Amino acid sequence: MYNPYQYVPGSSLVHKLDPRTKIITVIAFSLVIMQVKLISLLAAAAFIVLCSQLSRIPAARLLNTLRPVMPFFIFLFIIYIFFTAGTPLISLGPVQITSEGLAMGVLQVGKFILLVLAASVLTISTSATTLTMGLERLLRPINKLGGSSYDIAMMVTLALRFLPTLLEEMNNINEAQLSRNSNLSSLGLKGKIRSIVYLSLPLTLNFLRCCDELADAMEARCYRHGVRTFLYELHLTPMDYYLIIMVIITTVLCLIYL
Amino acid sequence: MISVRNLNFSYADDQMILQDINLEIEDGQYVAVIGANGSGKTTLIRHFNALLRPASGDVLVNGLSTRYVKSHPEIRRMIGMIFQNPDNQMVGMTVEEDVAFGPGNLGLSSAEIRKRVDEALEKVGLSEYKTRPPHTLSGGQKQLLAIAGVLAMDSRFIVLDEPTSSLDPESRFIVLEQLKQLNQEGIGIIHVTHNMDELANAHRVLVLEKGKLAADGAPGDIFRRVEWLRDLGLAPPKITELIWYLRQKGFDIREGLFSIQQAGDEIISLMNAHRLKAVNM
Ligand SMILES: Nc1ncnc2c1ncn2[C@@H]1O[C@H](COP(=O)(O)OP(=O)(O)OP(=O)(O)O)[C@@H](O)[C@H]1O
Ligand SMILES: [Mg+2]
Repeated sequence: MYNPYQYVPGSSLVHKLDPRTKIITVIAFSLVIMQVKLISLLAAAAFIVLCSQLSRIPAARLLNTLRPVMPFFIFLFIIYIFFTAGTPLISLGPVQITSEGLAMGVLQVGKFILLVLAASVLTISTSATTLTMGLERLLRPINKLGGSSYDIAMMVTLALRFLPTLLEEMNNINEAQLSRNSNLSSLGLKGKIRSIVYLSLPLTLNFLRCCDELADAMEARCYRHGVRTFLYELHLTPMDYYLIIMVIITTVLCLIYL
Repeated sequence: MISVRNLNFSYADDQMILQDINLEIEDGQYVAVIGANGSGKTTLIRHFNALLRPASGDVLVNGLSTRYVKSHPEIRRMIGMIFQNPDNQMVGMTVEEDVAFGPGNLGLSSAEIRKRVDEALEKVGLSEYKTRPPHTLSGGQKQLLAIAGVLAMDSRFIVLDEPTSSLDPESRFIVLEQLKQLNQEGIGIIHVTHNMDELANAHRVLVLEKGKLAADGAPGDIFRRVEWLRDLGLAPPKITELIWYLRQKGFDIREGLFSIQQAGDEIISLMNAHRLKAVNM
């Protein structure tokens, strides 16, 4: 199955950064972009172009990440251009497109597009392992409050690890059912709903059994609450420190002045 | 060493699943556990690494009782366990991280983890798959990966619950050879199986019947009792059955053989003896 957000190994500057630096940058970017006006949207876009250049991710690959979310963006755009009050630009019978609406649509959809692209640069340039480790390290303060960054990291890891297994299982069940009778398109709405129920029932049962066995297997390998160590350790380079400080200063300035 | 003393266990109050089990397993032994479906094999071996605790009686691992939660990490480090379904015991996003899970839980330094992971993968022959996602391995390789995960914890015993039941014959052979080799290096193996032909490497066989230890002895002694095994719902190894059949037919053939080679040699010498007799007449 093709996953446009999947990690592509590489040796670019962005690939080499510590995951924490990249996560912090994406979080900062999403904070700032919420405040942006139409003009500064261009600056934000320029920043994304810069990042994608530095990460040497081919533009086509990066733009592909927009495809799955496109219907949502189109829907959003339509809502904005038709339902914003203001000076009419074009009238189509009872509805009108206003110039304010057009500006709003471009701005809001532009923000979302840039957000998706920023997150995609992160996931394409960082392996799932490193990403989870970065997340774990950033969450460590919650350990002092009684939470467990290790548990959270473990959950993310397991979710990522079992997703392919789950999809495979879904395919198997689906095929088994298809071979027994129906081609889905000939079913009515009722039939389609029923076939989804038939699909989800065995899937859920299998999944629960799988969780049970997994819990035993983890326990058998000494998993418990508390500190654990990892195969890889993360190291912040001077470059990382420099970038994190720059990002924080820029973000604070943007939040104050935008 | 694993010592089981007067072990009783039930999941619910009304029905005892394990009854008065007593046994000792020395370090380095290769023990097979057999018994009909529902006879309590899985329940018994889950006591060895404290996944289950006795209702009464004791299970001691190197003198540590599974009764005390404090000893569980050490017990589980010494007794590695491998489950039937290879997919549901892999927890890492890559092969090497999966092997690193156990050592990481023990809190080892990342240099030490690296060393153990590399050694364990080397030993089971999966070094070249280090960075692959584990779900892309074959069934046999997945079980080898699970074995590597146990080796990286430096376990004394590997306990396996029907590890080959979902494998094709070739993968099955590879996994069994791996177990044999590890056993020769001094690691104890406790192997639950339904397939009697897998027992050629065992030093000792435990037979469970309805939660009781019905027999405990050398494979030769256990498998000689062909009819008794059949009554328990177990099929003896094919070789043993063949020899048993020949004896029933009145041939004077040695019992207690269960490798193809031994049995073959025995049958050949029998045939030679017959030929000699025929020539002399
Ligand atoms: N979690 C459980 N809760 C209640 N009863 C259980 C549970 N697990 C097993 N049992 C019961 O305990 C008995 C022994 O089961 P166990 O799984 O140990 O047998 P087994 O010898 O491993 O069988 P198999 O060859 O089918 O794997 C069975 O009667 C079973 O129904
Ligand atoms: Mg069982």
